[in-house]
Amino acid sequence: MKPQSPSSMPSYTLNCRMAHEAAALERLCQVVRIRGFRIARMSMESVDGELDIALTLEGARPIGMLQSQLEKLHTVAEVVLDGGVLQSRSA
Amino acid sequence: MNGAQHILEAFHRHSINTVFGYPGGCIMPLYDALVDDVGVEHVLCRHEQACALAADGYARASGKLGVCIATSGPGATNLITGVANAHRDSIPMLVITGQVPAGLIGTDAFQETDVLGMSLGIVKHSYLIDNADEIPAILEEAIELAQSGRPGPVWIDIPKDILLTDVKADTPPSPGHQTPGAVDISEAMDMLRSARKPLLYSGGGVSLAHAEDAFREFARTSGLPAVATLKGLGNAGKHNPTDMGMLGMHGSRAANRAVDECDLLLVIGARLDDRATGRLDGFAPNARMIHVDADAAEINKLRPADIALRGDLNSILAAFTAELADAPLDISNWQTQCRTWHTTSGFHAADNEEPLSPITGPAFIRQLSGIAPDDTVIACDVGQHQMWVAQYYRFDSPRHHLTSGGLGTMGFGLPAAIGAQFTDRSATVINVTGDGSFMMNAQELATIRRYNLPIKLIVLDNQCLGMVRQQQELFYDNRESQINLDDNPDFVAMARAFDIPALRIERTDQIRRGIETILAYNGPMLLHVAIAREENVWPIVKPGASNRDMIDEPRRTTAKKEQVA
Repeated sequence: MKPQSPSSMPSYTLNCRMAHEAAALERLCQVVRIRGFRIARMSMESVDGELDIALTLEGARPIGMLQSQLEKLHTVAEVVLDGGVLQSRSA
Repeated sequence: MNGAQHILEAFHRHSINTVFGYPGGCIMPLYDALVDDVGVEHVLCRHEQACALAADGYARASGKLGVCIATSGPGATNLITGVANAHRDSIPMLVITGQVPAGLIGTDAFQETDVLGMSLGIVKHSYLIDNADEIPAILEEAIELAQSGRPGPVWIDIPKDILLTDVKADTPPSPGHQTPGAVDISEAMDMLRSARKPLLYSGGGVSLAHAEDAFREFARTSGLPAVATLKGLGNAGKHNPTDMGMLGMHGSRAANRAVDECDLLLVIGARLDDRATGRLDGFAPNARMIHVDADAAEINKLRPADIALRGDLNSILAAFTAELADAPLDISNWQTQCRTWHTTSGFHAADNEEPLSPITGPAFIRQLSGIAPDDTVIACDVGQHQMWVAQYYRFDSPRHHLTSGGLGTMGFGLPAAIGAQFTDRSATVINVTGDGSFMMNAQELATIRRYNLPIKLIVLDNQCLGMVRQQQELFYDNRESQINLDDNPDFVAMARAFDIPALRIERTDQIRRGIETILAYNGPMLLHVAIAREENVWPIVKPGASNRDMIDEPRRTTAKKEQVA
């Protein structure tokens, strides 16, 4: 099956707060990838032993599915979907 | 007390008395500490993969935490398949590996691999300890985490020098299980009472939640016709008249028909796996769905639930049962209909009863089910024999059926049987395997012999990779590709080389005597069962097709038409 081009997929912003421990970002990114999303933009700040991460994501699957998978990570304290779907660029 | 001794101290504190492992350079401090420890039995397998799979089998059979240990590098990479297997089936497991000394991490040191990085996709959580004083708290957290909520493997990677460092920190109190809050079931009860054709659909989540008794009580009180996933077999008990067995790709036509025609699915501890549902848009097309699960991420993942109840299965099932105890459901017509389907198109009879005819897989498993004690533990491998066990063996408990459901790991059965036998050295434990799977961890015959485990090994040998051959026959125009195993070793001689007695049977009239012989033998024994190469598992749903479009065995279809006529 031909993959959808990134520009044809809905885009979302997720804000994630998680413990700043070894492989924290890798763990987050691994879940994002395997659950069918790609990272278009990412910013991260370390505050008081925690990471505040803002992710702009593109993917055709329901974002709620990714959110619930991220919330399962032991070191993730909070995942907030910023304003729902930012923009849908479907043709 | 150094880091290694602290690990053993944690094992004692949590009543962990059996671990499966294999020593090596970077984990040697832990093995040195084991020399002075008489409270932990260390089971030395012959391959790290088998250590992880044995710990998995131990956890499935006992409901306790499975523990496996290995060294860095190849020791850790060999664990990967077993840990992934536990992850896919949500098995509580603690994995401990040695790592190169902290100062050498990242220098491509001898036997260094990035275990933390490799583990990410196959664990519930993983740690790389970089300070000995973290050991007590991380151990407490890991042991709790592996067993709480939806269980899973937790991996702790510890550099060798940290294992040798004195730990100054105290052990913190255990975080303890978090009990989910009470769940309001009133809306679900209203929906259940309004249904005319409700169906109970249960999976591995029942035993993972230790909710077998609560489930059985609910199934009996409700009288709901019940289907089960591969991992849910045994949930309803061996003698439940409303149990219709397995649904899905190799489920019975009766079970799949009940799903197809029901108007309400009550899903308990199941995740709507594609092997169970077939094509999702054709699955239970007329049904509303109540989904009960411990894991919020499973609810609405593949199909939206009309009502979702997330929480402790024990308390939710008990609440359901209490509601129904005084006001039973009125579903007698539907119960009768399901019983009729189960009688006419469930898994009951094997085909060939001619005494001198070749043995068929279904005929063998059906007889095994009738002869083996009710509390026998069957550890399967993966392939056609696995499906015949699921179809024709009647399990009295899900803990009696050890099978690699999510990952489908060939080579699972033999080490899983070893793990199960260590939960009860007097239990009847049988590894039912195929000739392909058996060769994937056959080195563990040495472990069986070393510990004199009375495991019975049954090798259903069709001289090929039967499930692959079957799909090549049915879906790839019979173009066989790399499935031939007719150069297998002599399995009887092979077993005997490990000082395990063995015998071979090949005719239908030898089945009973063969089974009775191995069960009566006081020790390990192998039964080599020659079966036809061309035999298929029926029925089958083509991958990606709807369960409604399941394909029956051709001659059975003809026989049915004749019956109808």
